Amino acid sequence: MADYPQSLQAKLIRFGIYAVLVLMALWYLAPLYVMLSTSFKTLDEIRAGNLLSLPGTFSLDAWSAAWSSACTGVECGGMKRYFANSLTMMIPAVLISTLVGAFNGYILSMWRFKGSDMFFMALLIGTFLPFQVVILPMAQVLGWLELENSTGRLVLVHVIYGLQFTTLFFRNYYVTVPGELVKAARIDGAGFFRIFFKILLPISVPTIMVCLIWQTTQIWNDYLFGVVFSSGEGQPMTVALNNLVNTSTGVKQYNVDMAAAIIAALPTLLVYMVGGKYFVRGLTAGAVKG
Amino acid sequence: MGALSIRNVKKSFGNTHILKGIDLEIEKGQFLILVGPSGCGKSTLLNMIAGLDDITSGEIAIGDRVVNKLSPKDRDIAMVFQSYALYPNMTVRKNIAFGLDIRKVPKPEQEEIIARVAKTLQIEHLLDRKPLQLSGGQRQRVAMGRALARNPTLFLFDEPLSNLDAKLRVEMRSEIKLLHQRLGTTIVYVTHDQIEAMTLGDRIAVMKDGEVRQFGSPQQIYDAPADLYVAGFIGSPSMNFIPVQLREEDGHAVVDLDNGRAVQAVKLSPISDSQRAFVGKQVVLGIRPEQLTDPESAHSERGNLQTLQATVAITEPTGPDTLVTVTFNGIKTVARCHPRAAGAPGQQVELTLDPTKALLFDPVSEKRLA
Amino acid sequence: MTASRQGAPGFSISRLADVILPKLVLAPTVLACLVGFYVFIGWTAWLSFTESRLLPRYEWAGFVQYVELFGNERWWGAMQNLGIFGGLFILVSMALGLLMAVLLDQKIRFEGAIRTLYLYPMALSFIVTGTAWKWILNPGLGLEKMAHDWGFTGVTFDWIINPDFAIYTVVIAGVWQSSGFVMALFLAGLRGVDDSIIKAAQMDGASLPTIYTRIIIPSLRPVFLSAFMILAHIAVKSFDLVMALTGGGPGFATDLPSIFMYQHGFTRGQLGLGAASAMMMLFTACAVVMPLLYSELRRERRG
Repeated sequence: MADYPQSLQAKLIRFGIYAVLVLMALWYLAPLYVMLSTSFKTLDEIRAGNLLSLPGTFSLDAWSAAWSSACTGVECGGMKRYFANSLTMMIPAVLISTLVGAFNGYILSMWRFKGSDMFFMALLIGTFLPFQVVILPMAQVLGWLELENSTGRLVLVHVIYGLQFTTLFFRNYYVTVPGELVKAARIDGAGFFRIFFKILLPISVPTIMVCLIWQTTQIWNDYLFGVVFSSGEGQPMTVALNNLVNTSTGVKQYNVDMAAAIIAALPTLLVYMVGGKYFVRGLTAGAVKG
Repeated sequence: MGALSIRNVKKSFGNTHILKGIDLEIEKGQFLILVGPSGCGKSTLLNMIAGLDDITSGEIAIGDRVVNKLSPKDRDIAMVFQSYALYPNMTVRKNIAFGLDIRKVPKPEQEEIIARVAKTLQIEHLLDRKPLQLSGGQRQRVAMGRALARNPTLFLFDEPLSNLDAKLRVEMRSEIKLLHQRLGTTIVYVTHDQIEAMTLGDRIAVMKDGEVRQFGSPQQIYDAPADLYVAGFIGSPSMNFIPVQLREEDGHAVVDLDNGRAVQAVKLSPISDSQRAFVGKQVVLGIRPEQLTDPESAHSERGNLQTLQATVAITEPTGPDTLVTVTFNGIKTVARCHPRAAGAPGQQVELTLDPTKALLFDPVSEKRLA
Repeated sequence: MTASRQGAPGFSISRLADVILPKLVLAPTVLACLVGFYVFIGWTAWLSFTESRLLPRYEWAGFVQYVELFGNERWWGAMQNLGIFGGLFILVSMALGLLMAVLLDQKIRFEGAIRTLYLYPMALSFIVTGTAWKWILNPGLGLEKMAHDWGFTGVTFDWIINPDFAIYTVVIAGVWQSSGFVMALFLAGLRGVDDSIIKAAQMDGASLPTIYTRIIIPSLRPVFLSAFMILAHIAVKSFDLVMALTGGGPGFATDLPSIFMYQHGFTRGQLGLGAASAMMMLFTACAVVMPLLYSELRRERRG
């Protein structure tokens, strides 16, 4: 934009712009602040004060309750078991779907064959589908496979339904790599796997980051698959959180609820803070495809 | 048996025919050029020679082996690409060694090969750098080094100079020619640039729409192009094509040129049988700008120059000569004159035409009337 | 130096490998995709044409479930809610996102930090978002109390338990989570606008607001389309947010097709009805996205 003269009107407009932006920033931050401050208050403080008042004593009681003694339905062992469940589910699912997605992207861009482009289209269409149309049959199939273990079920489901995104990310990246690189390697004598591991993978680091971060966020934050395919002690964090907040046995412990919510949010928030720019790339990459 | 034989090779995708039956053969040590516009099939043919693409029908033989079913690495070839295709995460040394590693060449031998190649191409000081740190010309040398290190039967070049700026292109062209002379390698070289084709090749295959329109030495293609397309493709500025009515006088082909003011009869070479069939009909007269020049500059082997008058439309000085545009039979015709003899727009100029170089073409089939 | 050239077979295993391996490696994904999507959709469709209750039965029963679905008051309430929620959610998110993108495009200091801030809600689970806003909108202890403490004693804010207004709370939470993403999309689009067009307009004497409204925003059509499709997708799928925020209540005031489907398919033993509602969700998602895609494709072909 061209430089505008710093007239009074221009300065006022500038001020107005910043004011709006700051207001919006406050709006986005407010819930986080509220969650944090509530989690450090005692129930009395909550009733006495209001949303924005600071906690008086910074009590950690709610936190320890949320972690190890809060009641989620029948169990009263806190969030820690479910946190672990989410972790053990997420790590394999993220790694497997990323690796397979990388191979798929590699094949769909460098080793195309009859029908491979059509398959890619079919895969893309999948990203538009509401998962409600597949969960009924999936539940049946998981039953047939006699896969009882909740974590195993979730890993399988998340890998299958994550492949569309991971494949998309890698394929969109690899099509920007000149095909002549693979040709030269083939003439040098490299085969399918060597080309992938020695030449393409080393230059794929940003895309790998995008994929890891995207998948981590999607899988950790998922609720639908969690509530449908897992049960009891095998449930992931999101399901447990919802159970905690929505089962009213006795007095509602808002501070514990908030502490639990923050525990649930921490991993993905951390990932976002560390790898924010990759996260954005993932979002916009997924959008640009359309 | 030649070093490379391409026998009736065809390539189609469903109903699209990309290559319609290619027959070419070259001897060991020859430099074959595949030249033509984009989409003519030259890169496809190169990829098929390399084994990167499948052949729909026909045979390709390297040396005395039919290689149709062999993968690229078993064909004993090396290829240099337009975009150099250097492995971005490896140093120059590793780039060259990559193929040698796969072939399990012992380390000491590898070192020796790399040193030799680096010396030949003067890239010794670049061995430990990564491709990103190199200039275009340097990358091209490394790409050639990678190919040289394999010491193959056949070298393939896919428009290797197209990404370089004009000056660098001329330099690299000479280097490639020098390398070829020194090493005596058999080369297949794809380009769309007709100057590269003429200066580098021993044999040129001019291609269009999946066919080889003409296959011969540079001079053959320049002097005796097979059809209008080849005639117009080689030579810059390109050949003039003037529609004329063909007559016969004293056994010679004669055509009339109208310069806007008067019609001049131009006597060409003795008429041939194929040309006789077109007497009284419309044909196309082809004459290169360099064969249409001012009287002092003209030199002809036969001394039978025909003189023409014309009005100058525009002049374009290029330094060594000036391109003079006149009009014959309503067609803009370019002549190459000495700068002093060019004249100015609107002036009359005297031009000489070398009848032995003038060509006649059938306007319908576009073939040259030999 | 190279392997023996004479006597080499006219056929290489490595070539075969290069042809087979890609297909082999892609095969599991192909299987997963075909089965996981297309077979399952067909399966769900089949179920929707049966009388399955707690256990699946596969005899064809015609449109029985659809008839029941269309006669179901709760379902229509859910669809209506989807319409209200979806419409508002998309509209407000796009408007807000566009506004913020335009403002951020004005060479703001700390733009990067602000962008990062606006986007962080996308990193949260909808459950977390729902939980947080559920607390904020708590009738006795949330916003209402805060307003009272500040002296606005007349204010009531019990939307979340008010059947007529509860749906708007879902909109608020949803917009909070997703508007930053829309902003990111628009900002990327704004940045991609050709500078020379803007300079030409400035030479013509156009003021900045005019340039934005007449030139830049119209050129963002593809971004509007992308944003719309993604937001519509989120809206149709919305399940987590509502479950956490209101549980579908009070009553069925914030019920959505996704909740209807989940309850009937999984907790109420009505597989057939659940499948039918799932199919309707698919149909709705397609119905929203397809016409837009189609009109855009036609535009591209014409222009």
